[in-house]
Amino acid sequence: MSGLLQQISLPGGQIPWLDEMRRRGRAAFEAAGIPTAKTEAWKYTKPRELGGDDFVLSLPRPDLRAPQPELPFAAYRIYFENGIFNPAQSVLPQGVEVLPLIEVIMFRPRERALINAALRLEDFPFAALNSAYLNEGVFIHVDSRVELKRPLAVIYHTDSAEQNLFYNLRNLILLEEYAAAELIEYHCYDGALKSRYLANIVNEVYLRRGACLRHYKVQNEAFKANHIALNYVDAAAGAAYKAFCLQKGANIARNETHVLLKEEGASAEVNGAYLMNGWATLDTTTDIEHLAPCTVSHQLVKGVIGGDAKGVFQGRIHIAPGAVRTEGNQLHKALLLSDTAEVDVKPELEIFADDVKCSHGAASGELDEEQLFYMRSRGIGEEEARRLLIDAYLDDAISKIEDEKVAAWIKLMAK
Amino acid sequence: MTTPLLEIEDLYARVCDKEIVKGFNLTINEGEVHAVMGPNGAGKSTLSNILCGKPGYEVTSGSVRFKGKDLLAMSPEERAREGIFLAMQYPVEIPGVPVTTFLKHAVNAIRKHRGEPELDTMDFVKMVREEGRRFRLDAEMIKRPVNVGFSGGEKKRLEALQMAVLKPDFAILDEADSGLDIDALKVVADGVGALRDGKRSMLIITHFQRLLDHIVPDFVHVYADGRIVKSGGRELAAELEEKGYAEFERAK
Repeated sequence: MSGLLQQISLPGGQIPWLDEMRRRGRAAFEAAGIPTAKTEAWKYTKPRELGGDDFVLSLPRPDLRAPQPELPFAAYRIYFENGIFNPAQSVLPQGVEVLPLIEVIMFRPRERALINAALRLEDFPFAALNSAYLNEGVFIHVDSRVELKRPLAVIYHTDSAEQNLFYNLRNLILLEEYAAAELIEYHCYDGALKSRYLANIVNEVYLRRGACLRHYKVQNEAFKANHIALNYVDAAAGAAYKAFCLQKGANIARNETHVLLKEEGASAEVNGAYLMNGWATLDTTTDIEHLAPCTVSHQLVKGVIGGDAKGVFQGRIHIAPGAVRTEGNQLHKALLLSDTAEVDVKPELEIFADDVKCSHGAASGELDEEQLFYMRSRGIGEEEARRLLIDAYLDDAISKIEDEKVAAWIKLMAK
Repeated sequence: MTTPLLEIEDLYARVCDKEIVKGFNLTINEGEVHAVMGPNGAGKSTLSNILCGKPGYEVTSGSVRFKGKDLLAMSPEERAREGIFLAMQYPVEIPGVPVTTFLKHAVNAIRKHRGEPELDTMDFVKMVREEGRRFRLDAEMIKRPVNVGFSGGEKKRLEALQMAVLKPDFAILDEADSGLDIDALKVVADGVGALRDGKRSMLIITHFQRLLDHIVPDFVHVYADGRIVKSGGRELAAELEEKGYAEFERAK
């Protein structure tokens, strides 16, 4: 076995329309190929060597029972082992469903129609690849006016042994009118550090009128792993999507968030932080489309880059004709800890409407020598002083997380 | 009876290839309060920065011993842990780091150095709050990030509060009175004065006499052109206030 496109038999392969969904993905990926430096959307983040890697597609292993990582807050838990959904999970409250995605694909045409409904596969090569393997993942459904009291924690635990595992996950998240939920994604690992597994994840999120999803993610993959995630969000009138992503693991990772603010009053907050060393490339890419009047978006992303690592931030705000009285703000800041650390930033504002408030900003700098000396002159060791200043640097971004317990956990994870 | 705490011998130092300190000598014994006075631009702050190990200052010759140890060989944090404290002329703002967090790390680093156990957080916060009251910094202020949004006077009071919490053996007050109104000056001076216990030593660097009315020094030195040009008792401060520094500047 090798390569990214492998011939394997997937459930429902004999069903023509399902086969067609996968075929479309395969065709789009074959047409686009693995992105290179010439691919505009990937010019800073090269998915290095993926073509040559000997990938082993992840299959269910009944013997795999890794200890489930603890979370320091109460949550409903959804668990993936090596990219395979483990249906043993918390008892969910009424009005909330969590089902294997394949069940929804097979038996629920209304929800099945949401998969790849707006996603242009030719623009997203990894989502196309993901579609070629469409099978694994969950459907999360919150009924109208149901408000979840505890977060839903989706834990992705990978133990790839010596192999270069490869898995594709598709989650479909649907919040009906005025539903409210908090989703935590935690990507963690055990086992051989050398493995260069590839996690390729697509979350399709549909927020109906007035719904609110808080989506908090921690990406802490093994240090040679590859992590590629696309969050594709469709927000109806008055719906709110509030996201935060901390990236600190993986060798190459991209967390891409594409939000369609489709109707009046929809809003999005896409915040994040990343923390890296070694030779990693951590990429945060956002694309917020304001398609209706009175839509609002805010973005604050802060990075700390050491060693020979590279941070990438690409952020686009698009204001469509007629999307008047909208507001879109974006700020990216990076702290460079070494001479060889690098940050590439590409902000884009496209404004086709009048009466809008838009801003973007980017800054990069180093630790302040005066602040370091001030702390050291009080007896605080140099390393500890640097640590405190880095924590402080990320603090305002992490503090955007509304759930205080989760914010406290993410602050700890960012140490 | 007298134990030397700090011994500076024939110190020469430069900043950016410019000789600023030129043959400085000073010995401070345990429990003594010395004042170094001098015209602006004489390099008074250079002296305090060298003693605290601020990067960017090059000592070209001479020696500094603190409690008998080679001070110049120590990192800034080692000097602080050995018991040196600098109340800065321009305290630095540190956004995102609350005063309590900052001080807790400092106190525990010093305690660890002395082989003492770390302080319990509750006890620590209580202690800082109590000290804060003495310097008229309320509980709300000590939760805020270090010096961020503090007025000039509040920054100086926070320096004094840090000194009270860290309890150094030797404190340098660099222009501790600049930017203070009369009331704030009294708060700082009374607080610092209360730390004078016959064992702790201080070096007060100032341009004016007014702080010395509150913290009366044992010795006064006139600093001009990189060295001490005259030493005397407390009466020298009054003399300087009256006559100014013109005489010494001419002596260059």
